[in-house]
Amino acid sequence: MTATLEVEKYATIGKSIHRVDALEKVTGRAIYGDDMQFPDLLYGKVLRSPYAHAKIKRIDTSEAEKFPGVKAVVTGKGAPFRGGEAIRDQPFLAVGKVRFAGEAVAAVAAETEEIAERAMELIKVEYEPLPTLFDAVEAMKPGAPLIHEELHTYAHMPIVNPIPNTNICAKFEFNQGDVEKGFKQADHVFEETFTFPTGHHCQIEPFMAIAQAEISGRITIWVPNDAPHRLRKDLADAMGVPFERLRVISPPYMGGGFGGKGGLKVEMVCIALAMRTDYRPVKIVLTREETFTSSLMRHQAVVTVKTGVKKDGTIIASQSKLVYNTGAYAEKGPTVTLHGCESGVGPYKIPNVKVEGYTVYTNRPVAGALRGYGLPQSSFAHESLIDMIAAKMGWDPVEFRLKNALEEGSINPTRGDVLSSIGLKECILKAAKAIEWGKPRPPNRGVGIACEYKATKTPSGSAAFLKVEQDGGVTVITSAVEVGQGIKTILAQIASEELGVPVERITVTSPDTDYTPFDASTTASRATFHMGNAVRFAAKDAKEQIFALAAPMLGVSPGELETINGDVRVKGDTKKMTIAEVIRGKYRAGMTILGRGSYYPEIQGTMFSARSIFYMYGAQAVDLEVDLETGKIRIVKITAAHDVGKAINPKACEGQIEGGVVQGMGTAVFEEVKFDNNGKMLNPNFRDYRIPTASDAPEIVPIIVEATHDEGPFGAKGIGEMTLVSTPTAIANAVYNATGIRIKELPVTQEKLFNLLKERDA
Amino acid sequence: MKRMVKFQVNGEQTAIDVEPTKTLLDVLREVLFLTGTKRGCDSGECGACTVLLNGQAVHSCLILAAELEGQDVLTIEGLSKNPKELHPLQKAFIEKGAVQCGFCTPGLMMSAKALLDRNPNPTEEEVRHSISGNLCRCTGYSKIVDAILTAGEEIRGNSQ
Repeated sequence: MTATLEVEKYATIGKSIHRVDALEKVTGRAIYGDDMQFPDLLYGKVLRSPYAHAKIKRIDTSEAEKFPGVKAVVTGKGAPFRGGEAIRDQPFLAVGKVRFAGEAVAAVAAETEEIAERAMELIKVEYEPLPTLFDAVEAMKPGAPLIHEELHTYAHMPIVNPIPNTNICAKFEFNQGDVEKGFKQADHVFEETFTFPTGHHCQIEPFMAIAQAEISGRITIWVPNDAPHRLRKDLADAMGVPFERLRVISPPYMGGGFGGKGGLKVEMVCIALAMRTDYRPVKIVLTREETFTSSLMRHQAVVTVKTGVKKDGTIIASQSKLVYNTGAYAEKGPTVTLHGCESGVGPYKIPNVKVEGYTVYTNRPVAGALRGYGLPQSSFAHESLIDMIAAKMGWDPVEFRLKNALEEGSINPTRGDVLSSIGLKECILKAAKAIEWGKPRPPNRGVGIACEYKATKTPSGSAAFLKVEQDGGVTVITSAVEVGQGIKTILAQIASEELGVPVERITVTSPDTDYTPFDASTTASRATFHMGNAVRFAAKDAKEQIFALAAPMLGVSPGELETINGDVRVKGDTKKMTIAEVIRGKYRAGMTILGRGSYYPEIQGTMFSARSIFYMYGAQAVDLEVDLETGKIRIVKITAAHDVGKAINPKACEGQIEGGVVQGMGTAVFEEVKFDNNGKMLNPNFRDYRIPTASDAPEIVPIIVEATHDEGPFGAKGIGEMTLVSTPTAIANAVYNATGIRIKELPVTQEKLFNLLKERDA
Repeated sequence: MKRMVKFQVNGEQTAIDVEPTKTLLDVLREVLFLTGTKRGCDSGECGACTVLLNGQAVHSCLILAAELEGQDVLTIEGLSKNPKELHPLQKAFIEKGAVQCGFCTPGLMMSAKALLDRNPNPTEEEVRHSISGNLCRCTGYSKIVDAILTAGEEIRGNSQ
């Protein structure tokens, strides 16, 4: 009965309509940044530091400047700006010293890429190596050499508290209850340390940007960045100019982001060059090697967890210390750490909690946001320990989780807020059932499970316009970025449902900060919820204006009207007009109906400071087989159940789940960025940094759970990030189930498992 | 240094002057403006630049343009020129939700076309093997494999 009503309730919400951008993409006509051309385009190349930490004694660019075809050469001194969302610590190009191997030291703009490259090779840089620090735990010790001597002078976000004269650029603490008392009440206390590896996004599209300075002093940048308005603010803050001097335009499509294509990356050096090319635009496309070394990575993290449990299996206390290696610059490291701390303890009712997180500078390349935003690291530690506790106390891992799982009305263990819209138990039960938990399996086969809850950054805002043209066609004007997740389709469905206009008549724009209104970012799994609300409100606003026009024409009051399939109808009557007839009926010479919408949660505080406006819940289970002779893991199946609130487009949700699971699987079994002793990256390519191929990917069973959220558009929450959080841990827990070997350091490569098996049998 | 090369692209004869260092990928993107073929790594590791050369799937970043004389190249733009007459692979990719960011999509579809041209009735394992040189970071491959199998069904149906 409910199901039937649900189907009748919505025209397009909950339906797996085809993506609105699919045709362009399957015909090769979709335009990405590197596909964009300008007649007077120059090409930029960047000279990068071979040292992880060194003084720059001298840079001689004279030969490069003289090289025919070179239009501009720039070094750090020529672009005296420092940027960074959390802490303004990163120069556009290195000034005085370099802090990681791969940092931009100088750049050339020339008529062709080849000329730029040859000229770049003529730049001479003299370095004086400085002591290096690669290990975050070492780097935070008193007396460690400082990577940023001037940390205390940097501007930073209100919630970030750098500790002067250390390498600790942020420290966060969450306290609930009394953790010492909690441990005293516990019958058993468990403690372990876990390490999560440095990873890379591996977006298939390399990083790129095109920048152009105008004679008026304005600068325009075309760049696949997941937050054009945030980028404009970051650039304005760095350069000390008002927002209107900068214009950020998204190319129509982005070839994968996963959190990496946000903030300041290639944008900095591209603008530095563009400011000296006589107003000609400059394009920089990073090579695959540069994309590895000089864009962004996932933080390596070391997490120590101590958990106290009562005899009956109730978790009574949890204390943890998390150290995130953020590399040479803070980037989003501080808030990544914050989010890792915030929900890393796991989705459990724990009355006494203490979490301490540190973001630490080292001479590694910069680490920042990567799908999951710090949570994969902390979740791996906590969910592995939960598995160990269950094993030691004789609990079934599923039962132990269910016993302690958050449920409607539970208290958030880290922030203390009362939680609602919680599909967690359903996720655990459905993932377990789909993997046939408890079924006897052959030797060397194992099952594992892990679960999670994930916050979104709060508070944050989104705004949208919606134009209804005189022929009834609709444009949604939004700064949400189509990173591949399908947001254009989701927003078209939301506008269609609210306005009663078919999806085919709706166009969703790409961002251009000159025209499209504010959006905090297309990150944190926030777009469907926040921008979805803004678009829905804009559609409602436009609809009400249309009703006001139509009411006298149809001889009824506005409240008696509804819109269906592009028509304005009198409820319960046959009288109707098309939206186009209504607009033309009033405005014979033409007009646009302009709807406005914005959403900002009613929560006080600065960005990231508040309890999350919604939480996502999920559980994943893994069935795998270990070859005892070789250590090779064959993943048979992964079941992934995720509470999305309401699936606006179920197929798109499945796509998010399947993609996240395979990314998480790569993280679990082979992905790790490696360095030599001098901090030079050893595997900056797809041959040596292996990501899963179609032959590696296992069978995946995506399961959508819908615990609707009162404030979400049609009940929707979010999905993108949470889909890979539990995968590595569920795999590690399944390896334990198959072999009795507990994985405390990822990835569990074939070689590592082979050695662990030998150790076990010795 | 430049040399004139005549070859066929998407069914049309073309003649261009190429420098000896330029690859087929460079020529497609920068001279012929066929930007549907993507540059992801420039070293034959990601598969985003896959095109068909005389019916075989190749990494266009590894083929020197100067060696193209008399050869036949098919890119994603040549798979169909009319949205009403999409190739079964294109229809299936749309239908099955096999597209996300879309950057790997053209290369994947060209690898899949090479497979289905050779064998319109592949097993799932053969499909997975045939696209294992095409990296996709968004989809997890499930829906792509499903789409290729579905396209194979349609192609077999059409030829009956």
